[in-house]
Amino acid sequence: MYNDRGGAMKRNSHTTDQTGFDYMTNKGKEEQDRDLCGLLIASFLILALTIIQYAGMY
Amino acid sequence: MSATITADYDVRRRSFLTSLYSFKEVLPGLLAMLYIAVFANNLPGVPNPFTLQNLFYWLDGVVGPLHHQPLFQLLNSNFVWNPLLLGLIIGNLFGVPNRWKRGLSYIHMLMPLGIIMLAPHFMVFQAAKLGVVPIVICTIFLFLTASLTLYTAKLLGLDDRHGAIIAGGLSTGDPHACAILMPLIKAKGGQVVNAVVCVIGFGLIAMIVLPLVGRVFGIPEPLMGLASVVGVGNGAQALYAAFGTGYEAGRYAVWYDVGRHVIMPAGFLYVFIVMFIRKLRNRHNPAILATRGIKRFPTWLGVFIFFWVLACLHVFKEPAHHAIFNLVKWDFSLAAAALGLSLSFKDITAAGIKGFLVTCIAGGLRIVLLLTALSVCIKAGWLTV
Repeated sequence: MYNDRGGAMKRNSHTTDQTGFDYMTNKGKEEQDRDLCGLLIASFLILALTIIQYAGMY
Repeated sequence: MSATITADYDVRRRSFLTSLYSFKEVLPGLLAMLYIAVFANNLPGVPNPFTLQNLFYWLDGVVGPLHHQPLFQLLNSNFVWNPLLLGLIIGNLFGVPNRWKRGLSYIHMLMPLGIIMLAPHFMVFQAAKLGVVPIVICTIFLFLTASLTLYTAKLLGLDDRHGAIIAGGLSTGDPHACAILMPLIKAKGGQVVNAVVCVIGFGLIAMIVLPLVGRVFGIPEPLMGLASVVGVGNGAQALYAAFGTGYEAGRYAVWYDVGRHVIMPAGFLYVFIVMFIRKLRNRHNPAILATRGIKRFPTWLGVFIFFWVLACLHVFKEPAHHAIFNLVKWDFSLAAAALGLSLSFKDITAAGIKGFLVTCIAGGLRIVLLLTALSVCIKAGWLTV
């Protein structure tokens, strides 16, 4: 694993598990997929709450 | 190792939903975030009295008001920093179990989700009641402060990610902007929390200094309300500075605060766009780290802007706006818990005190320029008292 400057980086015990999965790393296709999930959920919630209001349901 | 993990994801991927992993894998982490969030904040729908927020309320009562402001509001206790603090304490005292880590990775989904849902919170035309000149002053000083901070950070050789996060927090007068900029700038968690400490620390100094400097410039009380909002920001800190000047200044600060609040998205969008263009122009410069890894304008940020435009057109009426903002509280509380767990105290202090120096120089310049601008406006008759 390398840091921003290309040097060797120690494993961060707070964020990295025994398989090397670092939960604070977010890049590549995985980042795009997470962004898409967030985008869809946010859009759904905003639109649902707004439509429900316009329909006079609360 | 990181590249291997990314490659593993590409092999395992079936659809975009693969990024959510299996329920069994993420449950421990999600529960950890949930418990930290509900014991940190009084979240909508959770009748839990044993929260950090209530503890701070109680301590506020013990200490008593400071220029009409609760102590922990001056220290910027809110639905983001309470769970972050609790996560930080738990992570540093007990560590973070490996089983939690898949679930904690949901922070990367929660950040764009929460930022998009913030859009209905900023209705620009709510500031129309202030009149043209105060709105122009709020807007000019938003962009000026961000530019000054970025330039000072460059002069002092501060990590550009750290400088950009400080620029966002200082210019908008809201440390939340630091967290909002985190996924856009690709800043480290330690840099974000360090930047928040810098912005809040500077605010504590500015809220005491501004009333004194304001008297030197001879700014009348109502306009010291505007000066506090623009020159200090950070909600309660601006009110402390204003009430420190006088009751009339405090009243006007409440009135003027909407001018700072509604244009806040312009501040963090400006910082992101400046840093993104800078990175595109210097693709092969290894010293430029801000926004590195972002190849094109993020789609979710475009969606945020779209909803912000709808908010400005008052598409989101009050009950829906409140319901959406309650979900934002939930979202950011969960994300902040994961961020707090990810950090050691060393990560926060590693950024050093250079960030604080940058904040003080840029913030100090803002106050001097602001009071000069207000004096000119008063003399020219553009601002009536």
